[in-house]
Amino acid sequence: MKLELRGITKRFGSLTANNNVNLVVNPGEIHCLLGENGAGKSTLMNILYGLITPDEGQILIDDEVVTIVDPKDAVNHGIGMVHQHFMLIPVFSVADNVILGSEPVKPWPVIDYKAATARLLELANEYGFEIDDPQATVEDLPIGAQQRVEILKALSHEASVLILDEPTAVLTPQETDAFMVILRSLKASGKSIIFITHKLREVLAIADVITVMRLGDVVGVTTPKETSERGLATMMVGRDVNFVVEKRPATLGDVALKVQNLYVEDARGLTSVKNVSFEVRAGEILAVAGVQGNGQTELVEALTGMRHPSSGNVLLHDVDLAGQSVRHFLDAGVGHVPEDRQRYGLIPGLSLSDNLVLDQLDDPRFRNRFGRNLKAIKAHGAQMRESFDIRAQSEESPVGALSGGNQQKVVMARELSRELKVLICSQPTRGLDVGSIEFMHRQIVDIRDSGVAVVIVSSELDEVFALGDRIAVLYDGEIQAIVPPTTSREELGLLMAGAGAAKVTQ
Amino acid sequence: MTTMTTEPPRLDAFLRFVVRARQANMFLVLVLALFVGLSFGAVMIIVTQPTLLSSWSHFFSHPGGTIASSFNTVWFAYEQLFQGAVVNFHSLRLLIDDPSKATLATALIPLSGTLTYATPLIVAGLGLAIGFRSSLFNIGGQGQVVLGGVLALLIGFSFHLTPALQVPLEMLAAMGGGALLAGFAGVLKAYTGAHEVIVTMMSNYTMIAVLGYLLIQPLFARPGVLDGASKAVGVTGQLPYFFSHLSSALLLNIGFVIALIAVFAVQWFFNRSKTGFELLMVGQNPDAARVAGIYSRRSIIICLALAGALLGLAGMLELTGVDHFVTPNFGGSYGFDAITVALLGRNKPWGVFFAAIFFGAMFTGGEAMQAFTPTNIQFSLADVIQAVVVFCVATPALLVEVFHLRGGSRLMNSTYAGGWV
Repeated sequence: MKLELRGITKRFGSLTANNNVNLVVNPGEIHCLLGENGAGKSTLMNILYGLITPDEGQILIDDEVVTIVDPKDAVNHGIGMVHQHFMLIPVFSVADNVILGSEPVKPWPVIDYKAATARLLELANEYGFEIDDPQATVEDLPIGAQQRVEILKALSHEASVLILDEPTAVLTPQETDAFMVILRSLKASGKSIIFITHKLREVLAIADVITVMRLGDVVGVTTPKETSERGLATMMVGRDVNFVVEKRPATLGDVALKVQNLYVEDARGLTSVKNVSFEVRAGEILAVAGVQGNGQTELVEALTGMRHPSSGNVLLHDVDLAGQSVRHFLDAGVGHVPEDRQRYGLIPGLSLSDNLVLDQLDDPRFRNRFGRNLKAIKAHGAQMRESFDIRAQSEESPVGALSGGNQQKVVMARELSRELKVLICSQPTRGLDVGSIEFMHRQIVDIRDSGVAVVIVSSELDEVFALGDRIAVLYDGEIQAIVPPTTSREELGLLMAGAGAAKVTQ
Repeated sequence: MTTMTTEPPRLDAFLRFVVRARQANMFLVLVLALFVGLSFGAVMIIVTQPTLLSSWSHFFSHPGGTIASSFNTVWFAYEQLFQGAVVNFHSLRLLIDDPSKATLATALIPLSGTLTYATPLIVAGLGLAIGFRSSLFNIGGQGQVVLGGVLALLIGFSFHLTPALQVPLEMLAAMGGGALLAGFAGVLKAYTGAHEVIVTMMSNYTMIAVLGYLLIQPLFARPGVLDGASKAVGVTGQLPYFFSHLSSALLLNIGFVIALIAVFAVQWFFNRSKTGFELLMVGQNPDAARVAGIYSRRSIIICLALAGALLGLAGMLELTGVDHFVTPNFGGSYGFDAITVALLGRNKPWGVFFAAIFFGAMFTGGEAMQAFTPTNIQFSLADVIQAVVVFCVATPALLVEVFHLRGGSRLMNSTYAGGWV
């Protein structure tokens, strides 16, 4: 099926999200759509999927104009979409989720679960998906598997064009590899894929055609052969981008954060951080590397007061904070940029300015005789919007309306505008585009240079190498080794896979 | 020539006005809701009056007469509704012709009735709105109103201090009682996870039963009566009337001012106070609130206790401003009506204020309509109109669809009670 978008224009108030956009996707093609946060990719895809009506322009399928006013039309025309945030029912089984909306009924109104399961397995076989147990509850599955369910769901509606909105943003490196295999098999069976991503390496590895958008315009159409990471980044951002932030060697101060023999239990009562000890000096970045799910979440929670360790100490300038409240940690000067910013970092319905002071309600800057100083809070919001280049209509806009990258900027801006001694950053650039990553990295290095001890938890090796003055590798809740950033990728990879500290350090 | 040049811009301005007027906003929704409610009521009137209904069978022979008679009946009923709720035209004319204390008193009676009825409802609606905006669904308004009333009564007949001392004491007791009752539900939710809807709803039945029990106890029961009425609040414990020098029929009292102060206080609470802001945070996203160092347990308890305090105050205002004693039916359905008032006012302090006054108007106006219309139009018609209006305001999506308003999605997306209402 050939899909064409012709002259699509969409305006939101004074903002032009799509300006006369043209896009052609041929059958069996993996078409990457690339652009910064807020470049208009999601708007374009929502138009194609019938969630937004364009002001101008046409959608053509096999050279015939079609009208798509809601997702049902899109599905009927063979367009399937896998959203960044999955649209699955967590408590339903895999099979139930896939048949939802098109349940096989025989005899009416009884759902024929056997036929449903058979259909699911048949589909999975056809495209080489691994489905261990069609009756497994979706919420128990790892993210990568949930995503496969989401794709299967689209395929079960006989989609011939699949829109994948930042599918790899939530995946671990291993899951991403498996995902690429799936993409290739889909392509081989003649499906067209529109793949939205920020990760240039993935684009170059898998794309047939690349369309780059910037500020609502298509700024270029290219192929992996004709371009490079640097070329793509320049097209996206409109200027040269530094992939690795320049940073001077760390000027080390006193030990700011000292973690001693820390043990932390997770929500199920299993010990997921085991005997972890490390020190971070003022003016230094410690990067904690590791595959997701090796105790990072619990470690960060223990370092920010969200979870009380079962034993061990968290010393901030020699004061033990273990077992204290979150408020205590915040007041002691611990900054926290949580991994899941939408869930843990922001109140979506409140304005940008309010979200910038969530944990600083007692700050005298934002108070006056009558309580919260709305004027000062608004002025602070405007100033932060300016200095962090947060793209929002105004500082009064609800933060939930912002794109992911801008939301992350809000969280970062909030933490950096406080008096900090230690900054704990979890996946600081997950889901961000190259321009924003560069900006975030710059901010993190700057705060380091101002004498703050920084702990970065990241599963992106590029990020770990770019930022870390030292790299601690976490595997199965234990620190395998703390190594310098000159360590090779292979060695670090081995450590992350649990190859053992002894082998490397000796 | 001059007309040629002036007309186009005027038309343009008019068109722009129409376009802007079609932009969905809350004011437009209210106007349309009122229109739909009154239209629905009109149909009810016509359908329920046999003479009117039968006149429609002659519609094709006398269309004018049919429409005129239906219109006249509906118009008359609504005129009575309005006059009963706001101002009586006849007494207004008398006042203009002969401005005296007596005529002024008569002219003020309808408005005074409306505001008096609305007073406890304003405060109760505010209390519930606090909970709803923090995603806590306090259904126990009725129980908290009753407890507030009972405690105010206890202070009211036990002491005979100066009003300046006794009235604040009654307020304190009523608010404290309401706060404890609702706060208890908050403690249960915060520490055991017991759902506040169930706990507060059960507390309603408990309080109503407790009230029935107390009213047969010698401490509360009025000596020598068997109708379950309690002793009355002493004169020093009653809220002073504003217009007692004009007429004893003007029941508007200091309670209305207290309600106004409460509106400002709640407005300040959510806009400016730290605690109010924290409640909004916890209500919308408890996880992010926790990361920002806010204890959701504490917030839940504070929120419900504050809501309970306002509902207790509502009970006190009803007792000391209007009834002066308690019966087994004390509080009517204020606690439940307040849920609707909060909903109609979209949980905004001033919204609640006007919603409560609307309820008061429909109540006093409805009584007048029933009394003065010769055709048997019942009080419940006012309830029907009120219900349709609430229904329309609560589901703006419906109005946006029916009247093809522009930009309706923005209106519908504006959640006003973190996912609950």
